[in-house]
Amino acid sequence: MNKKIVSAVLCGAMILGSAVPAMAGTADGKKIALVGKSAGNAFFEIAAASFVETAEAEGATVDTVYPEAATADAQIKVLDNLISQDYDAICISANDVNALQAKLQEAMDEGIKISCFDSATNPDSRQIFINQAGTVAVGQALLDAVLDIAGGEGQFAILSATSQAANQNAWIDAMKNIMESDDTYANLELVEVAYGDDEPQKSTDQTAALLEKYPDLKVICAPTTVGIAAAAKYLQDNGSACKLTGLGLPSEMLEYTGADDEHSCPYFYLWDMQGLGKLSALTTIALVNEDITGALDETFTAGDLGDYTITEADDGGTEVVLGAPLQFNPDNIEEMAKLY
Amino acid sequence: MAGKSGRSINNVPKSPVKQMIFSWEGILVLLFIAVNIFCANFSEFYNLKSLLRQMPVYLAEIFLMLPMAYILVLGEIDISVGSIVCLSATMACIVSNTGAPFIVVILAALLVGTACGAVNAFVLTQFEELPPMIVTLATQIIFRGIAEIVLGNGGSISVTNTEGFSALGGKVGRIPYILFLVLILGIIAAVILGKCTFGRRVYAIGTNRLAAYYSGIHVQKIRFIIYTLMGTISGLCALFLISSSFGANTTTGNGFEMDAIAMAVFGGISSTGGKGNIVGGLISAFIIVCLRVGLGQRNIHPQVILLIIGVLLIGAVGLPNIVKEIQKKAKMAK
Repeated sequence: MNKKIVSAVLCGAMILGSAVPAMAGTADGKKIALVGKSAGNAFFEIAAASFVETAEAEGATVDTVYPEAATADAQIKVLDNLISQDYDAICISANDVNALQAKLQEAMDEGIKISCFDSATNPDSRQIFINQAGTVAVGQALLDAVLDIAGGEGQFAILSATSQAANQNAWIDAMKNIMESDDTYANLELVEVAYGDDEPQKSTDQTAALLEKYPDLKVICAPTTVGIAAAAKYLQDNGSACKLTGLGLPSEMLEYTGADDEHSCPYFYLWDMQGLGKLSALTTIALVNEDITGALDETFTAGDLGDYTITEADDGGTEVVLGAPLQFNPDNIEEMAKLY
Repeated sequence: MAGKSGRSINNVPKSPVKQMIFSWEGILVLLFIAVNIFCANFSEFYNLKSLLRQMPVYLAEIFLMLPMAYILVLGEIDISVGSIVCLSATMACIVSNTGAPFIVVILAALLVGTACGAVNAFVLTQFEELPPMIVTLATQIIFRGIAEIVLGNGGSISVTNTEGFSALGGKVGRIPYILFLVLILGIIAAVILGKCTFGRRVYAIGTNRLAAYYSGIHVQKIRFIIYTLMGTISGLCALFLISSSFGANTTTGNGFEMDAIAMAVFGGISSTGGKGNIVGGLISAFIIVCLRVGLGQRNIHPQVILLIIGVLLIGAVGLPNIVKEIQKKAKMAK
């Protein structure tokens, strides 16, 4: 009985809603589910908040759902739940590349649009991936930072995570390729790639060892948040002339970032998580509205972010790339450190 | 009846009908109905169709509850089953990716599971004085460790030929195969535990191991069989897990042992041994499944769902004692 009343009220609301087209959202009445890797990841939540804000401004309702554990099995249960409800789209940050395929295909068969962001599934499990930053763009940004901080020439080293870390290795390879193919970087010398295994102590030890081995080292580039924080502290505490850049969290890097000799890191990079959330929301809405299907070379306009073209991803699927990573420097770090 | 379930609230003999209603199983049936009414009102999407569609991932865990019930009735515990599931799933994926026929994949999963179970059984029967909790804690680490080493960097494997596993995850109409299998195995397990000599012996061991031994029961043989079967069923669970995720990773089966124990204990199977039956375990398992599906459909925070199940569990364990206390006081007052 209760249900009937509720559904009658809802139907009435929908009729009223559709009768008033003045609300200019492009996604009025659409239901989108946003699925995280696990609850309590501050980094993800910045993107999620931005996603929700953007989609709701367009008139969609967004439910952010987290699995009970950071596993693919738990995400399968979440997807099962979501397929039972009448969502128009699911945007997911996947815990496993392949494990969700059966469920996501089931969802697509039910007419639910599937987009991925932050962490992609395999191409068969999605319609599009919203990539925070292309591998080459990250490599380029880091290498330019090294060139700039080193003053155009000299030795530099890389302090990475583990030797098998897929992301880090891809960025390092991109840096090496750019160095080989572009004369601009001819005077830079990459002396060593060290591995701090994403452990603070080991990263500190590796930083110390690099300084010991290469007294003329001008820059260390650490494309990992743990590595860069450890190295920043070591270099700053020891008043080293060697400078630092890489990928880091503003909140962890706040006290080490500055243009003067007192600070060890002039500037560093990370994804624009807010931008990622926004682009993900707008891309997902474009899928729902069938402005795009997720096929190669389609174009669409993502609000004030501008026009985007769908390109081929490294895994053979399709993606939109947000752009170059965001630079954190003394001008913006205090504000950004409050966010992440 | 009253003695068998061990959860009967009133020990005064009553008519069979009354006995059934007031038994723990009777309460569970009422709770099952209540949960379903609640869920149907709570979620507009909760119906038989969505329940059947979402059930399979949970049903795989109910397999584990069946042999776990035997182990609990023995008065023991096996916390290595989640790891056995992980190792069996990993091996099944590897065998599947060599292009072996699907029947070989099934056998591989069951064999690996059985072997792991046999390792537990061997250690526990050879060194009787070792506590099962500690031995299976050790094998939990060992089995998952082996799986992690085999999986290597990346920690996950996916099956390239999904045909066999898709078939396994198939349906008759809307009813998934796995539901039939759970019910069939459930009935077999219930009959053996409740009606056969083997089952009576399990209760005997759980009630008083020494007395059972002196009355001529092969205590170690029965323990060996049960722990080994626990492994075999873990292999079966692994197969059905792969049929939903088409792969395995280092977190596969994480925490399954606790889910299985929770289902059994909620169903009135005492962890101190000698009490409870499979029917209670099965009903409670379906209560948990329905609750998780229903609450999940309203996107309730997963930890809140686990919290609710935790409260139910404590209530289930505590209720019979509370009722007994009240009855005692009422008698004293007379």
